[in-house]
Amino acid sequence: MNVGLTHYLALAAALFLVGMTGVLVRRNSLIMFMSIEIMLSAANIVFAAYSRLHGDLAGHVFVLMVFAVAAAEAAIGLAILVEIYRLRRTVNVDDLNTLME
Amino acid sequence: METFLFYLCGGLMLGAAAMTVVSRSAVAAAVWLVFSFVCAAGIFALLAAPFLAILQILIYAGAIMVLFLFVIMMLQGPVLPAETARLVAWRKALLTLPAAAVAVILIGWAAQGREAAFGETPVTGTPAAVAELLLNRYLLAFELISIVLLVAIVGAVALGRRQEVQP
Repeated sequence: MNVGLTHYLALAAALFLVGMTGVLVRRNSLIMFMSIEIMLSAANIVFAAYSRLHGDLAGHVFVLMVFAVAAAEAAIGLAILVEIYRLRRTVNVDDLNTLME
Repeated sequence: METFLFYLCGGLMLGAAAMTVVSRSAVAAAVWLVFSFVCAAGIFALLAAPFLAILQILIYAGAIMVLFLFVIMMLQGPVLPAETARLVAWRKALLTLPAAAVAVILIGWAAQGREAAFGETPVTGTPAAVAELLLNRYLLAFELISIVLLVAIVGAVALGRRQEVQP
């Protein structure tokens, strides 16, 4: 069976689920960030697959946009993490419950 | 051949992503994630997108992961012992099961009766072809994303500046 759109969609869905599991399950905010990157990667694969299906390169352009947004998100998110670590000495999200107490 | 490469890259990518999620050490997770991104570059190459494959390695596996590793190395030492105590919240993991079921149903529904086979001659996403679109039709989006990056840089610098800690 030739590899078609469905294969790539299934791969992207599986990757997205792995990333989602990471965000839900892990308590280390650094690894939660990496899981978000996995989910963005899954979305990129869908863009590229539909681009291949329609023979239109617009999907590639928007993958580039996702790259830029991912870079911005990583820069800001990690800066916030460093700041939180400076104030609270932890990156474990279970310890960051000031508003719940 | 294409089928073999798809299953190779896709399987390795999924496995590496899963290892990222279950790794105890954040450094190991980051290295698995780099591996996963390299496999994603292979998937892009299979989808006739060589420019994206190169950028995936340059930007993701290069720049973004170096940023991650830098921050991990900065924070790692005191963080790790606390994490071994409680690695995960397993009950929340069960939430992903219905999500997986929904994903499978949606893909099956979307694939039903659609033309899902790729055309014989792909439109290759060479740098020249992508740049043609990026700098003509999508010029506004290109300029806006550059503003996003500029704001992100300024924000990261403002957040990362060492401030006097009040007693």
